Amino acid sequence: MPVNPEELREIPAFRDLPVGQVQSVAALMVRRHFAPGQIIFVEGEKSGSLWFVFEGHVRIIKESSNGRLQGLCLMTRGKCFGGCPLFDLDNNPATAQALDSAILFVLPGGAVEHLRQHNPDLVKALLHIYSQRLGHLARVSEVLGSWSVSERINDCLLTYARHPARQQSVVELTHEKLAALSGTVREVVTRHLNLLERQGIIRIESGHIVILNADALLPPCAWERQQSAV
Amino acid sequence: MMVSVELFSRCQPIAGLSPRTQRCIAEKATLIEYAQGNNLYVQGDPPSALYLLQSGHVKLHRQSRDRCQILALLAPGDCLGAESLPTGAMSPYTATALTPVSAVTLPPDILQSLLDEHPDFQEAFLRLITERLKQFVSLVHDLAFRDVTSRLAMVLVARAEVEGTVHDEGILVDRLLSQQEYGEMVGTVREVVYRSFKRFEDRGLVRLTRDSILIRDLEALRAIALLEAR
Repeated sequence: MPVNPEELREIPAFRDLPVGQVQSVAALMVRRHFAPGQIIFVEGEKSGSLWFVFEGHVRIIKESSNGRLQGLCLMTRGKCFGGCPLFDLDNNPATAQALDSAILFVLPGGAVEHLRQHNPDLVKALLHIYSQRLGHLARVSEVLGSWSVSERINDCLLTYARHPARQQSVVELTHEKLAALSGTVREVVTRHLNLLERQGIIRIESGHIVILNADALLPPCAWERQQSAV
Repeated sequence: MMVSVELFSRCQPIAGLSPRTQRCIAEKATLIEYAQGNNLYVQGDPPSALYLLQSGHVKLHRQSRDRCQILALLAPGDCLGAESLPTGAMSPYTATALTPVSAVTLPPDILQSLLDEHPDFQEAFLRLITERLKQFVSLVHDLAFRDVTSRLAMVLVARAEVEGTVHDEGILVDRLLSQQEYGEMVGTVREVVYRSFKRFEDRGLVRLTRDSILIRDLEALRAIALLEAR
């Protein structure tokens, strides 16, 4: 099924492109549907396509040789993933999996190559996307390398909360997904969440977690967030 | 100081540009020297210049209060900086000279005009960011799935491969980092690094002197580096 240029404009990377260029990109794109849990691509595969989330959520994960998972990020509406192999002829560095029913717009590898040669604005859009990824991965590395498990779980709660600016934000992640994102196991997440609930910082409800006191979850680099919010 | 095109020869993405683009870069770049311990740019600052490292070593690191995570060690031929230029966001990490450093430098306004006017420079810039992305994905993998001993072995193997010199008893590298900094690189504290080095020494894999590390059994270190924690 084709992609409508108006829909494509809802993706931040294409919002500022001229109408004609958005139309030519949309004409090269394919709309794909994924079921909850379905794998989109696997770490190590050759695949140069660029993927954009139109609806739903996608998680990007690394897997160890003995099956442990580490989440790199959670992709929400408008976010872009994939595309690394395009630029160094290497393989996908991570796996992508749909978390719920997801609609994705795919720009196949050949089309990206064509657009790169004829559309400098697309390269600028890619630079923007990759630059954001770099900042995110630098932060993930810091969190894994120098934060405690409790701080990592707290950080995930804040990062993946809906309406983070409001007092009672909601996190819709299972304990298992929180564990994968914070580099630990489900049992440790459950123990820590129970502790937070006893302290009145969160409330665990069916299918989600309500954050009652976001300030109590702030990580060591809270100063950085506060600075960036000013 | 004026810059000649010959200085680009060690930096592959820039050396691969057309002669015209290289000449244009050389006209606008300057060669700057930094004393040991000086910052080339700081986490949280506006987008910085692009630096092509000519001599010396630089560490990329993130700091939260009293904790530090070293993300990468850079050697001559590496490029750094300007990761946040495409987004205009603040720099995601700090770059500090570990030794006296000289670098060809392109300030942000010049970079922007090069990106606008030279499509091949756009491609090179995209490759630089992609390379750093791959490096950080690999770091996340190591921090999540490998234990401290494996990560320390991995740092030593990487240093031996990139800048080691052949010695009668193995491969010699400069010590370059303090034990505290090796800890910041592999996500642990100085005492644990000390114990890991001691174990390597007891097994005859390395020998430490005040200024250098002699790697006596690179293959054994490589095998340890590839082990993933259960």
